[in-house]
Order: sequence, then structure tokens, then C-alpha cells
Amino acid sequence: MYLSSLALLAASALPISAVAAGDAAAGKTKAFTCMGCHGIPSYYNVYPSYHVPKLGGQHANYIAAALQAYKSGQRRHSTMRAQAANLSEQDMQDLAAFFAQSGN
Amino acid sequence: MMNIMRTLLSLSLLSSFTLAAQAGGDPAAGQVIAAEKCVACHAADGNSADPQYPRLAGQHADYLALTLSEYKAGTRSNPIMAGFAAGLSEQDQKDVAAWFSSQSGLVTPVAPNTVSN
Repeated sequence: MYLSSLALLAASALPISAVAAGDAAAGKTKAFTCMGCHGIPSYYNVYPSYHVPKLGGQHANYIAAALQAYKSGQRRHSTMRAQAANLSEQDMQDLAAFFAQSGN
Repeated sequence: MMNIMRTLLSLSLLSSFTLAAQAGGDPAAGQVIAAEKCVACHAADGNSADPQYPRLAGQHADYLALTLSEYKAGTRSNPIMAGFAAGLSEQDQKDVAAWFSSQSGLVTPVAPNTVSN
């Protein structure tokens, strides 16, 4: 009974681990569009007007979670939702790795 | 006449600086709030140790204040942050934002095309 439960748990964990850890080098290439706003110091979002957030040095886990939330619509921002809509889970991990590293 | 114009210009510049200071919030007041409410997850200076909580140190103050107002209004949903933001006035939001913004941490990432060159 316990063994079969364990096996089920292990099986359910597999799809998650199928996504490799973020590759910062791949993320660097994929970040080309992101940098159009996030790579310009003190760049402004408009309507409403505020500084586009700094991502350099941010935790990779948090960036990946934010991208997932934009893609699912749980977090609202029309531009970010459009960008995140086309990202795979692997893309998100790669981008997250790149931004986390680009703070150093 | 030129002197009057100069005086008026100086006065208007002076008043705009004062307004800017108010809009920016008071980092010292923000530090007190941060030490009480934010420290457990984000750390006192905003350089959180746990990667599930975002680093706030060095982030733009206006972005941080906006985020807090969105959590308070419910337009951005997060059960933990909703609870903390609910107790912050608009001035508190600006003060906390000014504090974390003044700390060293996040930076604008370097453009990919310039990294390898």
C-alpha cells in the first residue's frame, strides 16, 4: 500500500522534473525582446506611468513564477501576458536563469 | 524685471523639488515598517534569502509603491501580500518603497548583445 503510493508520488513528480534547470546562456538569447523594456535603465511603462521593474539579480524561482502567472492570466499586464503566452516552461526557466545571473 | 523672473523661476524649482521629495517617500520611516512587516520574507534590506520571495532591494520606488497599492486594491492577488498591504496607508507604501529602493541589490540587466563583446 505504502509502496504503491510512493510509486504514484514518484510518477507524478516526473513531468515536473522533465523540465531541465534553467540555462542562462539560452535565456540570454531568448531575452532579446525582454531587454527592449527591461534592459533600458529607468525605462517607463505608460498608462499607468511607472518604471519598468529591474530584473537583474532577481531570484530565478520568482521570475519563473511571475512568467507563469502572466501566462495563466493570474497576474495581469497586457504586454507581459502577450509575451508570456508564447513561452514554454523551459523558456521561462532559461529566462529566469539569465536574469538571476545578470545581476552580477 | 529679469530679477523678478529669476526669483519666480527659483521659487517654482524649489517647490517642485519639495513635491518630488514627498512623492518619493521617507526611507527612514519605511525602514521602520520594513523591520516590522517585511523582514520575515524579504529581509530587512530587501535582499531575500528564500528564492520564492522576490528581492526588493534596489527596485524602482514607484514600481514597489504601485505593487503595494495593487495588492491592497486586490488588482494583484496574493493572499500573503494582501494581508500586509491592507494595513499600509498610501504614505506607508511610498515610505517602504523608498527604503527598499535605497538599498543595494537589483540592477538593470545588461543587454545580451553587449555581454559577449
